[in-house]
Amino acid sequence: MRFLVVDDSSTMRRIIINTLNKLGYTECREAGNGREGLDALTANPVDIVITDWNMPEMSGVEFARAVRANDATKAVPILMVTTNAAEGDIVEALKAGVSNYVVKPFTPATIKEKIEAVLKA
Amino acid sequence: MSVPQSLLSTLVSATEEVFDTMLALPLQARPPVTGPLETPANVVATVAFAGHRRGLVVVYSSLTAARQITSSMLGIPVHEVNGEVPDAMGEIANMVAGTFRNRLAAVEPSSDISVPTVTIGTDFSTLYSSAVFRSRCPFDMQGEPLSVELILTGDQVGGLK
Ligand SMILES: [Mg+2]
Repeated sequence: MRFLVVDDSSTMRRIIINTLNKLGYTECREAGNGREGLDALTANPVDIVITDWNMPEMSGVEFARAVRANDATKAVPILMVTTNAAEGDIVEALKAGVSNYVVKPFTPATIKEKIEAVLKA
Repeated sequence: MSVPQSLLSTLVSATEEVFDTMLALPLQARPPVTGPLETPANVVATVAFAGHRRGLVVVYSSLTAARQITSSMLGIPVHEVNGEVPDAMGEIANMVAGTFRNRLAAVEPSSDISVPTVTIGTDFSTLYSSAVFRSRCPFDMQGEPLSVELILTGDQVGGLK
């Protein structure tokens, strides 16, 4: 299973990748914002994208819209990991094409559960 | 002027949730205080919020505490922590302010939070306009001081309904 982790915080990328490694997922690439994520994704397809929301240059929501607008990438599941958890936030993210949602702070069990949910969907 | 107790309780429980969930570092909450820090902080991480309420959430810690937090977040030994402290402490402030904001958004119109700003150094102090309400929630983190301050600007101070 190949993952792309998109987050402007190097700390959060490390936490997510450490969590994925512990869950047995070791093929993880990373990008620092939506723009870089898009470049990484078009260059090398992955099975799941995990993205932050608040990032400079291109936010996670803009990134999700761009991924869904491109025939080559539109089917990839997108899991959003963010502190934004007001009701309006979640609606906005899902409308943009996000497949599932993890609110920070999170436990490894939540990440595992949400990955399984997007793979099943 | 100090901040309403209901908001401080929300901030304390948001901070505890972040530390319980993301870090293996238990926090011991102390009663909220107003006024300057007992010992100057070497690391100050700030997130602003605006919308229904306006203000700042500010996380103060010693460099020792910040290195412990960073080590715990990244899963590396403290002596291997090098340049990661600013980003890690910014992420802590982001999660504390974000969790605080989400809890308020469940009972009142929401506010948006900014990206974090982190200052690291010695012998500096942070001044804000006097037209603010502020209270600081101190914690003990395995003997190291850490505190989280809530600063509200004048006209949006009321407690939780
Ligand atoms: Mg971010």
